[in-house]
Amino acid sequence: MNKIAKLFVTFISAITLALVSFTSSFAKVEGEYIVLGSAISLTGKYSSNGVHTQNGYNMAVDRINKMGGVEVQGKKYKFEIIYYDDESNPKRAAQLAERLIKQDGVHYMLGPYSSGLTKAIAPVTEKYKIPMVEANGASRSLFTKGYKYLFAVLSPANQYLEVAIDLAVEKNGGKGVKIAQAFEQDAFSQDVRLGILDAAKRTGSEIIIDDKLPKELNDMAATLAKVKAVKPDVLVVSGHTKGALTAIRQISEMKVDVPMLAMTHCDAAKLSKQHGKKSEFALCASQWHKNLSYKDKFFGSGKKYAKDFQKEFGYDPPYQSAESSAALLVFKDAFERANSFDRDAVRDALVDTEMQTFYGNIKFGPGGQNVAKPMILFQVRCKGDDCENRVVAPTKWASDKFYHPIPKWSERS
Amino acid sequence: MEKVKQKDLILYSGLIILGLAAPYLFSAFKVQLTYLCVLIVLAMTWNLQGGEMGYNTFGNILFYGLGMYLTASVQVGMFFPLAEWTESGGEKTFVHTTAQYFQGIGVGLLVSAIVPAVIAGAIGYAILGLRGHYFAICTLGLGIAAGEIAGGIEIIGAGQGFTTPPFPAEIVDTEARGKFFYFLSFALLIGTFVFVKYIYGSRFRLILNAIRDNEDKAEAMGIQTMKYKIVGWMCSAFFCGLAGGIMGGLIGYIDSTDVAFDGREMGVFMVLMAILGGKGTLWGPVIGATLFHFFKEGLWTLILGWQYVALGVLIVVIVVYFPEGLMGWLREKYPERFGEVIDDKDRKAQVELK
Repeated sequence: MNKIAKLFVTFISAITLALVSFTSSFAKVEGEYIVLGSAISLTGKYSSNGVHTQNGYNMAVDRINKMGGVEVQGKKYKFEIIYYDDESNPKRAAQLAERLIKQDGVHYMLGPYSSGLTKAIAPVTEKYKIPMVEANGASRSLFTKGYKYLFAVLSPANQYLEVAIDLAVEKNGGKGVKIAQAFEQDAFSQDVRLGILDAAKRTGSEIIIDDKLPKELNDMAATLAKVKAVKPDVLVVSGHTKGALTAIRQISEMKVDVPMLAMTHCDAAKLSKQHGKKSEFALCASQWHKNLSYKDKFFGSGKKYAKDFQKEFGYDPPYQSAESSAALLVFKDAFERANSFDRDAVRDALVDTEMQTFYGNIKFGPGGQNVAKPMILFQVRCKGDDCENRVVAPTKWASDKFYHPIPKWSERS
Repeated sequence: MEKVKQKDLILYSGLIILGLAAPYLFSAFKVQLTYLCVLIVLAMTWNLQGGEMGYNTFGNILFYGLGMYLTASVQVGMFFPLAEWTESGGEKTFVHTTAQYFQGIGVGLLVSAIVPAVIAGAIGYAILGLRGHYFAICTLGLGIAAGEIAGGIEIIGAGQGFTTPPFPAEIVDTEARGKFFYFLSFALLIGTFVFVKYIYGSRFRLILNAIRDNEDKAEAMGIQTMKYKIVGWMCSAFFCGLAGGIMGGLIGYIDSTDVAFDGREMGVFMVLMAILGGKGTLWGPVIGATLFHFFKEGLWTLILGWQYVALGVLIVVIVVYFPEGLMGWLREKYPERFGEVIDDKDRKAQVELK
């Protein structure tokens, strides 16, 4: 045993030494850099959206730095972000938030991707009084916990598809409709579901299928078989990117005829590119669309943003990227108005945010959610094999009429 | 236990002092240290089952997750209506007072130790008749099923997840929460270690080993193997549940499949750590968990995006080069240091025989 003990003691002391030498904390503001921290899903089930988020952040950091940076007390600063990979896992995200704050000395956070991970990080940032501007946690329950340091540039999840139900009822002559719905078992999608339940109650609609989909979402054939049998007026599906892709793939394979199909995450899934004509007529909720008429001095209009983004990353920006870029504009604005790096001063400045960005108007409600920006709906429409997303609601920005009902598969070429 | 050797005494007291001082020495690493304690506990409890008894289980994650949900539910349910707390989008915010928070977590942890143990007894009675791969696959199903079921129960938040009560706001010190959870998990670690150490000196361990080495023979010798197998699993579940309860409070947010019944990560990690260190040894899981945690925390962020590939390579290396784990490898290399007497004459004689 004694040798083992020695070995063990050596081992422990080696670790101790390593740890002590490792404890070097960065400052919140280092030289000319303002250091922000973010845990992002680079691997795991949210990896594609995690990358959209990261690209959005990076794009804005580059742009803001290039255009002079952030001016605080007469000095110009640049943004810098420390990233960690949270592996799409809330447990890991919470741990990394601790790490960013305690070990890397980060004083300002950017949000992760998805509501679940934001839910895991918010208690940590709240505990250390770290202002967090997040762009991808839409779950309503985030904004009812009384968090004081959480700010979201996006509209809450329950608003995503409520409008779609209203639209369906309107097309049905104001009478209630029969709704079939399937939602992934996660914080965001379940919140979208709550929104639909509210809308159904309000409009006197009936929910005839209410399914839950697993997290690793690759198959929803069981739900679709039921849809085929009971013929609802609307089919609502939400399950992040995989949900959108799975739905379109299986609906077209099984030739499921439904007059209206409402989803989330179509643009993040690059649905119109990946599935082309098969995805035509799908109605999608979105936080943003490039055709909206908002403007700011950093990115110009939405269209300009989309073009620059395309040039930089090689694909059309989904709203996840746009809202992430907007988060940095909010931070910049708040730093300049606070004219200080004091966390509470920055936090107070964030509370008073009222600005327009290319992504939309931003003004935070008492819970931290953005109350100045409506959700929009777009529909995938094709010309030949060329498909794109056209805004159909709200009418203020609609470029196309909402096409209803979806033609049967037998009539589609 | 009766005669702890002097050298051991020095080792143990040294480790305890290090453990107590750690949150002050490495203040910024408190959360990682808490994780380390919990990981060691998980590896040690898995080792009881998989290492000593030879019943490789992937189901211990069930008790871990149960503990997590139970602690949080009790902590909330004792003072507030649980359904309203978890109701998604609920507009009400409940706040625990300091006393309520600690009372809640205390009772919650008690429940989270007892209930999983009882459940382990019940499930064990049903499935411990299976052996080898069949048992492993069956327990793998347990964890997955539990995750899916928990994701459908509204009162614990279903797919929305369950936000555990925030640390009382009246305690202004931002370090307090980290210290509280660290010491809680360190106490659990010591408790588990003492318990496992006690088992190592008992007849119970010999019986478990007998079951591992040849269950039929053990039975033939008059050992009621079923009884001991169930008790063994209940011991694992007891500590697993506690570990889960502490983790739930620390993470602050429970998700059915990603945090609680996280078979893909925690469930695999606990097996991996025990095997890395050497299963069927007292110190193996401790060393395995420590090494693994350092590997993970140190390298993970350096190889963004490739960490799971690295983990895969690590698993392959362990299985190929250290099938008996580090302790097993050391034991083979330096048997005399493990108190094994090697009769050189006898060994040579055997070599010649071959």
